[in-house]
Amino acid sequence: MPLPRWTLAFADDAGRTSNSEAALATVTSLANLDERTLVQEAQVGNRAAFEELVRRYDRDVLRLALNLMKRTEDARDVYQEAFLKVYKNLHRFRFECSFYTWLYRIVTNVCLDQLRRRQARPEDQAPELHAGQYEEGITDFFERQREHRPALDPEKHLVGQEIRARLATAMTRLSPRERIVFEMKHYQGLKLRAIGAALGTSEETVKNSLFRATRKLRSELGELR
Amino acid sequence: MSAAGPMRTCAEITPLLVFYACDEVNAQERAAIDAHLAACEDCREQLAEERAFQEALGSMPQAADSMDSASVLLAQCRSELYEKLDDLATPSVKERAPAFMWLRRWMALHPAWSGALMVLIGLVVGVESTQFFTGRDDANALDQAVNVRPGPRLTQEQLAKMVVAGVNLTPSMGSGSQNVRLQLSAEQPVVLTGNLDDMDVRQVLTYVVENGERFDSGVRLDCLEVLKLRAKDVQVRSALLTAARKDRNPAVRLKALESLRDSASDQLVRETLLESLQQDSNPGVRVEAVNLLVRSLDTTKPDSEALPMPGDLDAPEHATTAPRAPGLPPDESLANVIRALEDLQRKDPSRYVRLRSSTALREINERSEQ
Repeated sequence: MPLPRWTLAFADDAGRTSNSEAALATVTSLANLDERTLVQEAQVGNRAAFEELVRRYDRDVLRLALNLMKRTEDARDVYQEAFLKVYKNLHRFRFECSFYTWLYRIVTNVCLDQLRRRQARPEDQAPELHAGQYEEGITDFFERQREHRPALDPEKHLVGQEIRARLATAMTRLSPRERIVFEMKHYQGLKLRAIGAALGTSEETVKNSLFRATRKLRSELGELR
Repeated sequence: MSAAGPMRTCAEITPLLVFYACDEVNAQERAAIDAHLAACEDCREQLAEERAFQEALGSMPQAADSMDSASVLLAQCRSELYEKLDDLATPSVKERAPAFMWLRRWMALHPAWSGALMVLIGLVVGVESTQFFTGRDDANALDQAVNVRPGPRLTQEQLAKMVVAGVNLTPSMGSGSQNVRLQLSAEQPVVLTGNLDDMDVRQVLTYVVENGERFDSGVRLDCLEVLKLRAKDVQVRSALLTAARKDRNPAVRLKALESLRDSASDQLVRETLLESLQQDSNPGVRVEAVNLLVRSLDTTKPDSEALPMPGDLDAPEHATTAPRAPGLPPDESLANVIRALEDLQRKDPSRYVRLRSSTALREINERSEQ
């Protein structure tokens, strides 16, 4: 279903509106549109529709990127690279799956590429932030937001802190795919089949990756009871 | 037997515990694991460790856990993305700049240097253009010089491709023959100048006459005009005979026959004349053949007398009978000539030709009586 004519009347060539009232009207109307219509509008070059898609899904994209990459700068790079890929390749999207699935697949693959690049040039990379560092006064985004995290039991917090520090170190020893699979399974809660679809590989391959990742981490972390 | 099949060993079950703990086993595997765990203490401990591990993982805060309450990073990311999209949508300044903008800017900033540059460009353009036009004239002159060639003999291939653009005759100083200037277009333009002693000139002229279908009839007539001066030359005579027999234009055939006038007593020429007499489609050519045949019998007789007078047209047809020519050389050709003339006198569709044949027979008869 195309956009109502009046919403597009306020938009310029780039799909952006020329004044604040019109912008508000456009944003309001776009926010009410379903995903398919928004994608169709974006496919024909409506910039406002594309920006609405970004607003609808970019929080999830950034969360995924942060969780997978563990570095703010890397997550920002993943965010931008993923959405630019979407923007440039949107005309190829044929609604064979949901837009969110397609977007998720792009983001995970961008993350995988980033991790591989990082692994290929470890000397160029800043050390990863891990949970233990949140407590050591680093002034990054996570530390600034630390007080907003749910309060933890002091004892559990201390134990957990130890585990997190060891886990963060152990995660660096995984291959990019093992790491992505592990993160997507345990932190994104995805089924192995969905992970395989997102990464463009078989469920069996994902299963093997998860098994190896678990074994490596268990051996690094020792027994956890 | 249970749904899980026979009891599996610990070695088989242990690798599956990872997936069992995170609910990634199928029903058959689950049944097998459950059956094994019910009987195996070690594997139950393994599963407890696996679950503890996964629980510990679940309790870990994630990097993005606190993002909901502070969208600073998200806002930054959006801004960066929108800027990038703006860059993609807008052509770069370099693309939008008009052509030679850098030159205009430089000239505006350096007026003195700009003036000098313009003067220099003018000088260069002037000098180069002068040389270009001069060079072009020189090239034409060079073509002319090249075209006047004595060069190697013309090949048959060149002859086959050539086109004769012009044949000019000029009186030759001190010699009996005429100079001829042939303008040819073959693979390149060629100008031949010389008289019939020049082999190339003769070759071209005879080629034109013998291959009449390729050349304009005016050119063929011009060539015949030159060649008739050397009709006794074997090569030239052969070409003239070919033209007299085969040229599609009657004027050219007539001209070829005229060119053979002085050689009419030659056996080959006489055969050609007889052939023309009997087969040529043009009455004028047939009459000329008659004239030449009569002439061949009496070379001392002036040409004018060979032609019928207008009054002769009133003479009765078939007035003469075929003479026997006892005084003439007793060769077969004479008898052939007389027979041909008799046939012509009786059967030729042209009254003029019949009259001329009759006159010719009478002349031959009178001469024989003398």
